[in-house]
Amino acid sequence: MTSASHADNSGGAHHPSRRMPDHNFRYWIIAPSVFLLLLIGLFPLIYSLVVSFQQITMTDYDTSFAGLTNYAQLFDDARLWQSIAHTLIITIIALPIELVFGLAMAHLFLERMPGRQIFISLIVLPTVISPVVAGATWRLLFDQRYGPINQVIGWFAGHDVIMLWNITPHLVYPAILICEVWQWTPFMFLILLAALSNVDKSLTEAAELDGAGFWRIFFKIVLPAIWPVMAIAILIRGVDLFRIFDVIWALTSGGPGTMTETISIYTYVQGFQQFESSYTAAIAFLIVGLMSVVVIWAIRRMGLAK
Amino acid sequence: MSDVRISGLHKTFGTVHVLKGIDLEIPAGEFTVLVGPSGCGKSTLLRTIAGLEEVGQGDISISGVNVNSLRPRDRNIAMVFQNYALYPYLSVFENIAFGLRARKMEDHEVRLRVNSAADMLGITGLLDRFPKQLSGGQRQRVAIGRAIVRKPQLFLFDEPLSNLDAQLRDEMRGEIKKLHQDLGITMVYVTHDQIEAMTLADRIVLMREGRIEQMGSPLNVYEQPATRFVAGFLGSPKINFISGELVDAGDRQAMRLSDGEIIPLPKRTQAWGQSIVLGIRPQHLGRSTDSKVKAGEVKLSRPIEIVQPTGSRTYVTIKIGGTQCIAETESMETGRPGETIDLSFDLQHAIFFDPTSGAAII
Repeated sequence: MTSASHADNSGGAHHPSRRMPDHNFRYWIIAPSVFLLLLIGLFPLIYSLVVSFQQITMTDYDTSFAGLTNYAQLFDDARLWQSIAHTLIITIIALPIELVFGLAMAHLFLERMPGRQIFISLIVLPTVISPVVAGATWRLLFDQRYGPINQVIGWFAGHDVIMLWNITPHLVYPAILICEVWQWTPFMFLILLAALSNVDKSLTEAAELDGAGFWRIFFKIVLPAIWPVMAIAILIRGVDLFRIFDVIWALTSGGPGTMTETISIYTYVQGFQQFESSYTAAIAFLIVGLMSVVVIWAIRRMGLAK
Repeated sequence: MSDVRISGLHKTFGTVHVLKGIDLEIPAGEFTVLVGPSGCGKSTLLRTIAGLEEVGQGDISISGVNVNSLRPRDRNIAMVFQNYALYPYLSVFENIAFGLRARKMEDHEVRLRVNSAADMLGITGLLDRFPKQLSGGQRQRVAIGRAIVRKPQLFLFDEPLSNLDAQLRDEMRGEIKKLHQDLGITMVYVTHDQIEAMTLADRIVLMREGRIEQMGSPLNVYEQPATRFVAGFLGSPKINFISGELVDAGDRQAMRLSDGEIIPLPKRTQAWGQSIVLGIRPQHLGRSTDSKVKAGEVKLSRPIEIVQPTGSRTYVTIKIGGTQCIAETESMETGRPGETIDLSFDLQHAIFFDPTSGAAII
């Protein structure tokens, strides 16, 4: 052995950094966070699944297992299915309106114009506001005594109008939808603006020279290009709308009666006003099941999982 | 076939004045190439003809019709874009058929036209594919197919070959030239590549900083450049510029270089007592094989600095008047760096420029 190689060997032994690292070490590093995530994520899920098979109410000591009783009860609960119907009505009406408005606005703001940045920031503001604050604000705006909306309608009508937006049956849904569309159209606007500005401009120019009109260019060139982003936006807003709670809680609290009670509100009422803990857990799992089916179907259908 | 007339065209983007008064006539059926360095406004001019940019000031007419306020789709113009701009979600067939369908043509007529265009360009086998499945050259053909199928009155090309590799570029250049010969449509072609400009054009329009510097047939512009800029832009390797001053050499004027060399001028110039720039192309600065000095010839001996053989020709770099110059010699007679080479200077082809204005003076 030469002196040089000897020096190399001893050098290697003295430098721990040259040794192979302990392969398990990296798992030890992430272990605490994995544990924490399981604790706050997986544990409640499993625990509520267990609860849904018990008969816990917060007014009783009985925690015995009840089998599928809670799930059987779901099918006889007319108020539950009505709340799902209310949720679907709001989703089906609000989603296309937000999409079309957002797309139209994004199209307008595609062109360079003075003050563009400021306008975009202003338009996006509603989305930044907490939904419960937005709902409370709209409740004030719709107020019969001091709300400006009825005042303005009164000016146009030429006489005082009485419109009880959060009580009158045929006005509660429009009130909720106005607030919802006002708050979330900017979200669609922002995402679609980003998608539209990424469409290769030479494609639309080529189509223009080819003699295509606005709609042909939109449907054949622009829409396929923005579809992946648009599909995600629709999915996010669709899921959000299905969970709608704050705005309605602030505006109508589900009323009049149970007329605007959505699935989230009904679940909340069951859990924290009726204290039916086990039955609430069963409702929660019904929703998880329904949503999973819809979301998986949507992801496949939209071709997002490719 | 139709002609294009442009008069007094100005165009600004914000505070940038891109086109500064363009007057141009593009004769029907001719192949006109707009050439110039990047930022000279050639693409903007083309896009303005297409209607993709609004006319700032001035007039554009096609076939005698003023098109200033006409939408692009109503101008019956086809354009091939630099990135081809193929519609990615449509098949090659539908890409080519797009313009016909937009004009509500009947299905069997569409099929007929697309097939004949595909046949002409040799892309019949690709009609079912999608653009992303095609190579650069194939995309280029589809883009051309999409343009010719509509039988437009004017054909615009915006640097169509710049995304292709060198070999394919040569091939497509030939095909575009053949296309023009076969169809006889008026074509306007934008490029920054002077070889493309020289080989394709019936007429070259050389642009610089929003103005037309010179126009004419390629050979005309090449051999009689109006300015130093034009001389420097056309030709590869570049023309050599050597500066010196005007002196009186007995019965005639001459030019004295900074290394003392005296070069007699072929004609008298008014620019007496000034400095002057001599332009000589590498092919006119060859190796001297004869010891006799012919009329209109200047002999020089210089040490070789760099030798660049290309196969058919060899480019030798030497220093004349303090400037590095390239001389073109035949391949077999290469010297080595450090050796002295005898050069012959063909004064018949020398061009003299005013160093301040850049205009050719003799």
